[in-house]
Amino acid sequence: MANQALAVLESALRARKLDRTLTTALPPLERRDESALIPTSIAALDACLHGGLPRGQLSEIIGPRSSGRTTLLLQMMAATTRRGEIAAVVDTFDRLDVASVGAAGIDPDRLLWIRGQTICEHGPRSHASASPWLGEASFEQTVVDRALKALNLVLQAGGFAYVAIDLADVSRSTLTRIPFTTWLRVQRIIEGSDTACVLVAPQPLARSAGGLTLSLTACARWAGEADRSRHVIGADLTVRVVSPRRRVDGEVGIRATAAATF
Amino acid sequence: MFAAVYAAEGSPSTVLMEVARDFSPRVEACGSREVTLDVSGLARLFGDGKTIAAELRRTAADRGLRVRVAVAGTRTAARLLVHHSKPCDDVTVIEPGTEATSLADLPIELLAILGTAEPEPRTREPRIPDPFTITLRRWGLRTLGELASLPPDEVAARLGQAGVEWQRLARGEDRRPLLPAVPEERFEQALDLEWPIEGLEPLSFVLGRLIEPLSAHLERRDRGGAVLHVRLHLVTREVHERSLQLPAPIRDARTLRTLALLDLESHPPSAAIDRVVVAIDPTPGRVVQFSLLTRPLPSPEQLSTLMARLNALMGEGRCGAAVAVDSWEPGAFAMKPFAPSDASDVHQDKPWSHGGTEISSTDGAGEKDLRVSVSPWPVAVKEAANVPTVAIRRFRFPVPARVRIDRGVPVRVISDRRGWSGGHVETHAGPWRSSGGWWVTEKKNGLCWERDEWDVTLSDGATYRIFRERDTDAWFIEGIVD
Repeated sequence: MANQALAVLESALRARKLDRTLTTALPPLERRDESALIPTSIAALDACLHGGLPRGQLSEIIGPRSSGRTTLLLQMMAATTRRGEIAAVVDTFDRLDVASVGAAGIDPDRLLWIRGQTICEHGPRSHASASPWLGEASFEQTVVDRALKALNLVLQAGGFAYVAIDLADVSRSTLTRIPFTTWLRVQRIIEGSDTACVLVAPQPLARSAGGLTLSLTACARWAGEADRSRHVIGADLTVRVVSPRRRVDGEVGIRATAAATF
Repeated sequence: MFAAVYAAEGSPSTVLMEVARDFSPRVEACGSREVTLDVSGLARLFGDGKTIAAELRRTAADRGLRVRVAVAGTRTAARLLVHHSKPCDDVTVIEPGTEATSLADLPIELLAILGTAEPEPRTREPRIPDPFTITLRRWGLRTLGELASLPPDEVAARLGQAGVEWQRLARGEDRRPLLPAVPEERFEQALDLEWPIEGLEPLSFVLGRLIEPLSAHLERRDRGGAVLHVRLHLVTREVHERSLQLPAPIRDARTLRTLALLDLESHPPSAAIDRVVVAIDPTPGRVVQFSLLTRPLPSPEQLSTLMARLNALMGEGRCGAAVAVDSWEPGAFAMKPFAPSDASDVHQDKPWSHGGTEISSTDGAGEKDLRVSVSPWPVAVKEAANVPTVAIRRFRFPVPARVRIDRGVPVRVISDRRGWSGGHVETHAGPWRSSGGWWVTEKKNGLCWERDEWDVTLSDGATYRIFRERDTDAWFIEGIVD
């Protein structure tokens, strides 16, 4: 009788995915299944990551301004769309540059672009539902909440290989106000799916146990002596990979080039 | 037994079909002026073939159509005869089994007419080209009977399988059975409410009740919905009508109801609802073949529901796929609905319509090709796709900045925007003058620009693109190199 009750209880927990402990929920340490990874198509980085970013996990790209976060994000999306898969980006503050998307080699038909609201010089603008009497901080909070809801919708719809949310320009105070359960919920949605979810943020924010943190720094490369002949020819990116669980710690140097239309 | 009805020029095809349907449900349109119909079994009702043909002609005349009618044992024979008959011979009837002998004296050119009159989309049969009849005439053949009497194996040796097919046509044999045209059906459901309803929650039940039988009807007919119309008759005697263009043929009741509700959430009716009408424009159903080699894309039902929800959350037109536009305006773009194609359609070198480079090529004849095409896949990207390209984070509304100038170059950039400290300029490049849209007579924001652009690296380590508006002398930060 007791065994039967235990079996019923265990099956109920299993059905709700509550039968896992912290360790059993983790992916195996040395997983080499290439289909469970999403390559970045940057040879050095893929070698360091043992194949790419893990699917079904929440990873993050972090770094200060001009550290190459957007460059790396677009490069990963380009690799995804080139394989025939589809990607989505939740652009919280509507900062995606379409020319950069093209220069990165992204197939625009395979990238779902979800444009958030932007903050202009006179406060919130450009969207009917934005309340003009909100302060900039409150408005930012509203925009971030809406972006997180959009992220949830995209992840729940499924079928996307790569989903990113761009929180790179969100202030630290707003980022700290996002409940941590938000990221747990995101992880629960993508767990076991083929979707790799990536946060782009200025600071470490959230990463699932099997996910990666790519911490970026960069230095712009200039060419030319005179003011008018001088121009940005690229950037030297340094990616520090942090993932104790997958043992892929390390540093990778990447040379990014400026497109002809830059 | 089949009848072919050929109407005079300018006759409406719909009336012709109606006349034919009055006699038989098995009607096939052969072009806009001709129909063939199966009249087997009508002998008990009307009499012999001649009576049927006369009755057909009389009914058409009652509807204002002048027609020629031919009745034969096969469709092909009936069609050949109706095309060959003179305007004064309104009715031509031959007995079943005598098709070959009856057609023997007809000119061979009729085969070409028969071939072109076949409805193309439904039949993939070979058309009879004019060169074929020219060849036959060179052989000395003048009539269908002469073609029919040739040895089939010799015809096949010289003209191939198509020649044998045409020989069968010359004998009056059918290549395929009649394909009856299905009359258009209306996919519409309406419900008069006993009490007016307000709000979307009760309406969702009503919509579910109306859409489910429509969905079943679509499934029975192997159709999907192309457009979903929702008409709400309000207590104020107004009609609130919404039409949703569906991205793919959809017949899933839950998806259709969700889409209708999400649309009504964004465009709610102004008063309580008295009567609900749901109509669907049908379109042929989707045939989906999944691949074992590629990961499946979300189904159109999932995508359309997702897009409707995202549009409701983020605002209309803020979600979709980016499209470059043919403009030099910085940051110009357009949006289009997100509809990814199958993975097999992915081309590595797929060009964009715009990218920023005007190509003016000269062909061999010395004429200039004036097409403007912009390659968003720069050569560098094509050659080495794994080399990242530096991206810009662009401010949709440039951030106002205060820039200190020393000897013509910016030395310090400050902005009052929250979280922006600014700093000393460590490296700079510029200015690069850019202007456009000056030909627009009415100056509107964003349509014309004239500015000097600079790239600067500040003391915080970040690289920015800043510009000075030449007409206002105001400085702005346009984006961050990231």
